[in-house]
Amino acid sequence: MKIERVERIKKTTAVHLAMEAKEALKKITEDFPDNPDTMGYFYSLLHKFYIQGEMPNDCSEVIGTMCIQVPEELIYASGARPVRICSGSYVYDQTGAEFMHAKSCSLVKATLGMLNIKNMPFKDSLSAIVVATTCDQKKKAASMLEDIGYKTYVLEMPSIKDSEEARVYWQSSVKNFAAALEDMSGNRITKKGLSEAVMKANRARAEFRRFNNLRKGAHNLIYGKDAFVVANGYFFDKIEHWTDALAKLNAELEQREAKGVCVANKHAPRILFTGSPAIFPNLKLPLLIEQSGGVIVADEMCSSSRLLYDPISFDEGNLYDMIPAVADRYLKPCTCPCFVKNDDRKRKLKEMAKEFGVDGVVYQAFSGCNPYEMEHKAIAKMLETEGVPMLYIETDYSPEDTGQLSTRVEAFMESIKNRKRSKLQRGIS
Amino acid sequence: MRKIRELVYSADINRFRLYSQVVAFGLLMYGGYLAIDLGANLPTFACAFVGDGRGGTCYLYPLQHQLNMPLAQFIGGRGVAFLTGLITFVLFFMLFNKAWCGFACPLGTIQDWTTKLRSRLGIRYSAYSERTFHGLIKIKYVLLVLLILLSLGMSNAVPGIGKLSEDFMTPYCMICPGRTVLPLFNGDIKQLVVDFSSKTKLTLTALGMAVTGTFFVGAFAKKRFFCLFCPMSALQYIFSKAGLLRLIKDGSKCTKCGNCSRVCDMGIREIADDVVSKNILQDDCMMCFKCVAACPEEKCLDVRFLGLPVFSSTEQGFFKRMEGKVKDEN
Repeated sequence: MKIERVERIKKTTAVHLAMEAKEALKKITEDFPDNPDTMGYFYSLLHKFYIQGEMPNDCSEVIGTMCIQVPEELIYASGARPVRICSGSYVYDQTGAEFMHAKSCSLVKATLGMLNIKNMPFKDSLSAIVVATTCDQKKKAASMLEDIGYKTYVLEMPSIKDSEEARVYWQSSVKNFAAALEDMSGNRITKKGLSEAVMKANRARAEFRRFNNLRKGAHNLIYGKDAFVVANGYFFDKIEHWTDALAKLNAELEQREAKGVCVANKHAPRILFTGSPAIFPNLKLPLLIEQSGGVIVADEMCSSSRLLYDPISFDEGNLYDMIPAVADRYLKPCTCPCFVKNDDRKRKLKEMAKEFGVDGVVYQAFSGCNPYEMEHKAIAKMLETEGVPMLYIETDYSPEDTGQLSTRVEAFMESIKNRKRSKLQRGIS
Repeated sequence: MRKIRELVYSADINRFRLYSQVVAFGLLMYGGYLAIDLGANLPTFACAFVGDGRGGTCYLYPLQHQLNMPLAQFIGGRGVAFLTGLITFVLFFMLFNKAWCGFACPLGTIQDWTTKLRSRLGIRYSAYSERTFHGLIKIKYVLLVLLILLSLGMSNAVPGIGKLSEDFMTPYCMICPGRTVLPLFNGDIKQLVVDFSSKTKLTLTALGMAVTGTFFVGAFAKKRFFCLFCPMSALQYIFSKAGLLRLIKDGSKCTKCGNCSRVCDMGIREIADDVVSKNILQDDCMMCFKCVAACPEEKCLDVRFLGLPVFSSTEQGFFKRMEGKVKDEN
């Protein structure tokens, strides 16, 4: 009886997820003109993963990762493939709500909801889940996952990143993780394997930086929703394939730049998106921004730029230097709000606003996500002194608030357009 | 022009430095045979004990001799000689700033070779904790003050002690690993002795031998081990703000990723953590520019000579160098 019920829930959620994903993908592809041809690869990635429920490219062993502080290079070097399991699905948010308290954030609820139903495309090859001790909800999720029956590895992370002690603690924590990966996979992490993994990941980051650089120009070559789709594909795609596909997209964008093709006129408000991550299918807020005439030119989020920006550099090609180098990359430049002091995030946003010629910032905070909610005042204050307007939006995965949000977003876009116009007129007179 | 700049910024600075070190080593150790003499006021360890083969002389040697005179004589001919020496030293130094350490110093070069050997053998390096580091960096100033006071003490009576014995002649050289190690490259092993002729000499030369041993062991365990204690480095740092070659940091571009600090042979943390200072040159920096090569942020770290760009961190350069590095390793 019980098994039957579980099977039924599995089936219905699969159908609902496919519907939810289909609708989101349709909005992304059909509501906007001028999608780059090479975006096709990334659209089909999402289609395959979320609608057909299949993994792109076969893989024998998957290690699920929660949070961007889990070092991918070590997982690659141990012969497995890291898959970021954070979910953006409202359907899973609802299944998670059945056993989690109401104030949990949508992301954690959805992720646990998904893992509880065990319907993911990679369910058969998933050997373990790694949870970094970032925010409270992720921490508590770790023991809940164990209760569900997953092999869970808790990656200990300090909540301060600037001190020497934190760095030493983190480096030894990552070293332990490497040893645990060797035990789990039965493969040794070698100097050759790790340096190749570093290179593989660095190549992806180099390509992502090229992509971001193309978005810096005054011509709006591509919409932000596509950038989020690209980054989302990185969660589960084979990294080499992903890098190649992004290289093709970059080449197409370079052609667009040469030809002067753009997706929105140059007076369109240029938006920097930050805060709680926008993970497919929940691109509700980004889509609203771009439907209201804005263009997201940059983001500071753990589902996109924060995930893909920083490369690794090591000095000596031996494990004793490479593993700490990998560790440093995942702690020192990280701007996750779970850290006690996070001036780096402020500095990063300030620099990004300048570099990308941003007209306004949209700050998304999921209800229940304390770190982002608490940090928003400080960010707003910093941006105010910089003269950059910010829109703070508290939301979740449910589509209910779409109408209300769209009014606020439209008003924000209008105010930016007015600002731009009056600035332009002042410039002329 | 842009193409050339791109090429330079993507260059493998470590390889360039290796070549430069080899050339400088040859010049300073064997230049004398080609009648090259860069003078006696060089801001680097071109050791005076190397003999006629050397292409110049370390300033610490004449400095200690010049300081060995009665204070009254500093106003006079000998004082002028002292000043000329100091000014020549400062001018030489200003030209390349601390890059003398990273690109020319023979003792530094030997330590780098030792490091290469260790790395090839796959043996882990050691590093100081932040607190130990900040404690140790003061030692070189103590050595510098001792070097000056002991030299002065031979010609000027100290109340209660009197004049120091002439056995204290060039006290720092007596314990410097340059004196014992560098002549070896000219086949001269005479300096590898303990002098029993007097108590002072016995102490100094025995200490010198101990330092020599520590020099090799230390350099094998810790990158650029000796440089942290080098009184030449202390003397240089006094003038380094006036250097023509500069290391500039644009803190707004820094992500604090720590790449620069981790590749730093000296273990300087401020290069990563300080996002305020523009002139980022630190006390123990040897201007090897490994930090610039390891920085992935466009123009975050910048090397300038008289304000003109020489070398700079770039995204493109960073990724190219890392590709090369991984290829070399495999």
